Amino acid sequence: MNVMITGAAGGLGRAMANECASRGYNLFLTDINEDGLTCLKQGLERQFGVTVTTMACDLTNTESVDKMLDVIDKHGIRFDMLLNVAGMDYEGEFMGHEREKLVKIVLLNNAATLRITHAIIKRRRPGKKFTIVFVSSLASMFPMPLKATYAASKRFLLDFATSLRQELKRQDVNVLTLCPGGMVTTPGAINGIKAQGFWGDATTNPLEGVVRNTIDRALSGKRLYVPGMLNRILSFLGKIIPSTWVAKVIYWRWKEVSHNGSAS
Amino acid sequence: MKTVVITGASSGIGLETARLLARLGYNVLGIGRSEANCNKAKELILSENTNAKVEYFLADLMQQREVNRVSEKINAYLNERCNGELHALINNAGCVRSWYMTTYEGYEQQFALNHLAGFLLTYKLLPALKKAQGRVIMTGSDSHKGIKVHWNDVMLRHRYNPLTAYKQSKLCNLLFAKGLNDRFALDGIRAYVVDPGLVNTDIGNKDTGFLVNLIWKIRKKHGVSPDVPAKTYAYLCEVKDVPDGLYFYLCKEKNYSKEVTKENADRLFELSERLCDIQYGKVGMT
Ligand SMILES: NC(=O)c1ccc[n+]([C@@H]2O[C@H](COP(=O)([O-])OP(=O)(O)OC[C@H]3O[C@@H](n4cnc5c(N)ncnc54)[C@H](OP(=O)(O)O)[C@@H]3O)[C@@H](O)[C@H]2O)c1
Repeated sequence: MNVMITGAAGGLGRAMANECASRGYNLFLTDINEDGLTCLKQGLERQFGVTVTTMACDLTNTESVDKMLDVIDKHGIRFDMLLNVAGMDYEGEFMGHEREKLVKIVLLNNAATLRITHAIIKRRRPGKKFTIVFVSSLASMFPMPLKATYAASKRFLLDFATSLRQELKRQDVNVLTLCPGGMVTTPGAINGIKAQGFWGDATTNPLEGVVRNTIDRALSGKRLYVPGMLNRILSFLGKIIPSTWVAKVIYWRWKEVSHNGSAS
Repeated sequence: MKTVVITGASSGIGLETARLLARLGYNVLGIGRSEANCNKAKELILSENTNAKVEYFLADLMQQREVNRVSEKINAYLNERCNGELHALINNAGCVRSWYMTTYEGYEQQFALNHLAGFLLTYKLLPALKKAQGRVIMTGSDSHKGIKVHWNDVMLRHRYNPLTAYKQSKLCNLLFAKGLNDRFALDGIRAYVVDPGLVNTDIGNKDTGFLVNLIWKIRKKHGVSPDVPAKTYAYLCEVKDVPDGLYFYLCKEKNYSKEVTKENADRLFELSERLCDIQYGKVGMT
């Protein structure tokens, strides 16, 4: 099984790579962080003895992606699975950020994800089942003031994935969208969780469990995975409560948390 | 003058040990991850004695690349100013993590810092330790008891639990010390593990979640001051007749887990060599 993981050098990407390598899958890892890829490749090969290929690539840059695809084609690599993990966020008020920074969120989370997805589906292994995972977020379930661009970009992925799934169903492709709540993937994430006190712990999904279930579910044909009972309840509430109310509540809560976070 | 390297020397037990050894006239080389804490520690030690010999090196020891980088610096320092001799290495840096988190290599962080970092650093400094017939001292803990190494899943990707990860990493400290003694006692190197007891430090309040924070805030109040365990490190550095024991509490030998067997020690040695991509048998040959 050949698996491509984007954003592989980040916290979630590393956990996904570990999970896949422990299952004996061969990996093609990409990320913008070349050093991170090198370290991870070493770690995976030492632990699991699988074949790991890495290539640094800026997915928001067409040329960079074309270069990577050239290498893939030259070696005739074909894929059975694509894990779209690469994504980014800048929290805070929309008008509090530089213009181009905000645009970059959409360029990576959406435009670049479409680019790589299109390219890798074209390079699926012929005659075999193909699996795609989009890493969306619990944030995709609501309008989220103070994470406005991010939440909307994740909503894009959720809806896009659902449609794509329908289009590709007859071609033996499954598409799963992962919508996790908080996960501790970076040292910075811990501060965010700490700032929320008890609720931080309660809404945090254990990374190692999430990645294992994600792969299991994607392979068994599931469409959506929202880890954690509390998060499933929240996403349900997001569907039945008017979105203007949700926006109000979320605005309140995040204002509070970001205040606590900067105070501590 | 004797030289000692202490990891995690910027706060808690490591800092107090650095202070005490500096007072006893050691040339102290501390390693920490935070520049601010390292500077503060150095100032504190110099404020007690302006002639103290103390130097701090910055490195995030969880990352193997950083261990490699800092050990090169330290080896250069030892060769230039200490005749290439290191009398003691204290592998003390440690952490607690509420959740499964990984290093750049994708290794679980408690295992990576509490065990692998010391394993790799010791390897890198082994020639200098051999030259001085030095001692390697790990900060262990009584929590190493009542657990086995999860050989099929040392990174605990299945059912991670902060306490299990911590206990296992501390058991690894004992297994590593035993492995070192089995291999290098004939070269004059001795390895020990210190049980510091329950100590009032902030270890459980750094980069942890709500629950671990809360528990540790309550628990640490019952702990002793970190200058208490510091004495045991000083004892193990100073004592002339090399003691035979492996595990020390308040300068005295103590019983340790039955899991500390040659078989387990060898198994951990082999696994750790693979995870660090090194071979102790080939030290000095590269
Ligand atoms: N406290 C206890 O009751 C107790 C009991 C048994 C064993 N221990 C062990 O004692 C050792 C020291 O802990 P402590 O209680 O003194 O805690 P501490 O005060 O938090 O000290 C830990 C030290 O390690 C450093 N450190 C943490 N992460 C690091 C990294 N990635 N790279 C380099 N250095 C890093 C810390 O630097 P910063 O200053 O930047 O934080 C600090 O100097 C640990 O191995 C712990 O497992 C403690």
